[in-house]
Amino acid sequence: MYPTRPQIRPCLSLSLLCTLLGLVGCAHEEPLLIEETKYFDGDMPADFSGSWARDFSRGDDVNKVWQNAYYELARRRGSGRGLAMPSDRDMSMLMPLARLAELITRPDELTISQTEYEILVERRDDFALMCAFYGGVARSTDSSFAKEVCGWDGDRLISVTEFQDGLSVVHRFDVSEDRKQLRVITTVASDTAPMPFTIEHFYWRFNKIAGKYECIETLSMKRVCSTGSLAP
Amino acid sequence: MTLHRRWPAFTILLAILLTMFATMASGRSLAATETPAAGTMSDAGTLNVTIPVFEAGIPTDPSVFRDLRIFPRIRQIEAKLMPFLLRETLVETGRWGAVRVVTQPEPAAELQLFGTIVRSDGDWLEVHIRAVDATGRTWLDQHFSGQADDRFTEHKDDRFKTEFQALYSEIATALDAVRAEMSDAELSNIGNTSLMRYASELAPSAFGSFVERAEDGTWRALRLPARNDPMFIRIETIRNTEFLITDTVDAKFRELNTSLARTYRVWRDYRRKLVDYETENVRFAEAKPKDAERGSWDSIKHQYDTYKYDRITAQEQDRLAVAFNNEVTSTVDAMEDRVAELDGWVEQGYREWHSLLEDLFEVETYLLEQGN
Repeated sequence: MYPTRPQIRPCLSLSLLCTLLGLVGCAHEEPLLIEETKYFDGDMPADFSGSWARDFSRGDDVNKVWQNAYYELARRRGSGRGLAMPSDRDMSMLMPLARLAELITRPDELTISQTEYEILVERRDDFALMCAFYGGVARSTDSSFAKEVCGWDGDRLISVTEFQDGLSVVHRFDVSEDRKQLRVITTVASDTAPMPFTIEHFYWRFNKIAGKYECIETLSMKRVCSTGSLAP
Repeated sequence: MTLHRRWPAFTILLAILLTMFATMASGRSLAATETPAAGTMSDAGTLNVTIPVFEAGIPTDPSVFRDLRIFPRIRQIEAKLMPFLLRETLVETGRWGAVRVVTQPEPAAELQLFGTIVRSDGDWLEVHIRAVDATGRTWLDQHFSGQADDRFTEHKDDRFKTEFQALYSEIATALDAVRAEMSDAELSNIGNTSLMRYASELAPSAFGSFVERAEDGTWRALRLPARNDPMFIRIETIRNTEFLITDTVDAKFRELNTSLARTYRVWRDYRRKLVDYETENVRFAEAKPKDAERGSWDSIKHQYDTYKYDRITAQEQDRLAVAFNNEVTSTVDAMEDRVAELDGWVEQGYREWHSLLEDLFEVETYLLEQGN
């Protein structure tokens, strides 16, 4: 089981994440993943496979995170002499990150499949995060629009998506020892914003109840179901 | 030594084996009735063509599959379907003898077409074709590529027409151009060399000296046996029997093509649609809100959505590949099992024929020497 999340200030939380991810001062000129986290020996360090449902009793409330971010900016603005109103500019540049983080972390259910080479995190209304490792070496998913690469911090999986225009989205997956719970920390950052925006969610693993019918997807007949076994 | 006492038994056993294999194949052969009868030597000007299953062109490094958009299982299926489509095109020209699709290359084939799939993404097809005759002469060694054209598949009765018909026709035309430059004597020599290579492999003691391989790898028939040579008659009988079984294998490829044609067409249509989606994705990416400030919600959301649509398109393709596999796996597996069974029979029969013919040659030589 995870310990109860300590009430740490966003700056501390952020700096911890930065350290773990190899972010040097959160500067985006530096690589997001330190080289060692891209490699591993033998089997994948952790098994995330399964269906996961959001645990609403734990995790961040986006409004609360926004409030904390506001206080952090106020503290910075006060320069050690207490709090001062953050600038409209800072808030207007942080708001898009908060909206995006809220949008990305909205799905209540995750379906994770894991093979010898790949981990696929399927999310409703969004693309599936893809982590590919061949021979223990991370292989990035390159497109004209972004670069997606994964790595490991111990047995924690880190997925980093770097977009062209200074935007980045980092997901950190952490599964409990008994594989019953999953923690996902999502950080959205941009070089235009005064600070990144991080949301943490927890999930419970659940077994999808096998229905009366066994179904497979086919190309010309779409979904085909049978009461018997449907071996492809 | 009592070899001479064994020879009637050998002959009877050989006859039984040939009858057994011929019976086994005859009831199942479809292609045998639809292709010209395979003579031991081709008629002047008509060569028999053998097309082994294509090389699928799958890289050994699985990590590049996604980048190259290669779905290994589907490529393997395409490697079985494409030779059949080429075969149909060649048969339609009427300029060739029997055209057969086989699972393994046949070294003594009169003309053999080796294909490798270079690119196949639904919209474009690129294959490398190497055509080599029995003398070792290379007819073609080049790439052919073409874009899908639906005009070829508009008619329902064109079951074996493909969207890439132009490419197969181009290969047929290129082969025909080489053949047209050859004299009847050259073509006849290919047929003779093919037969003597086959005979020398099956019964090297009897026919090993009839054919010669030059240093450059080419083959030459040095002489031909008499038409009434009993050993040669046996070789012809065995080869015809083997052809009959090969035709049964060929018929399996025809059945596979018929079974998969519709599903494969749906898969290809989907892949083309996905290419269209990719074009739309690029258009969407270019339609960035003009007045959106860098770092603003509009700008960030547009960046995220652009990548999201790109990934969803790619992942949809993965999903379709799985759906395709789900739909065709049982058909392909059944076909592969049956072909493997037939191949096994041929291989086993070949070993037994080889052994029997070598023994028979020994017996007959012994008897001849005794007679003299």
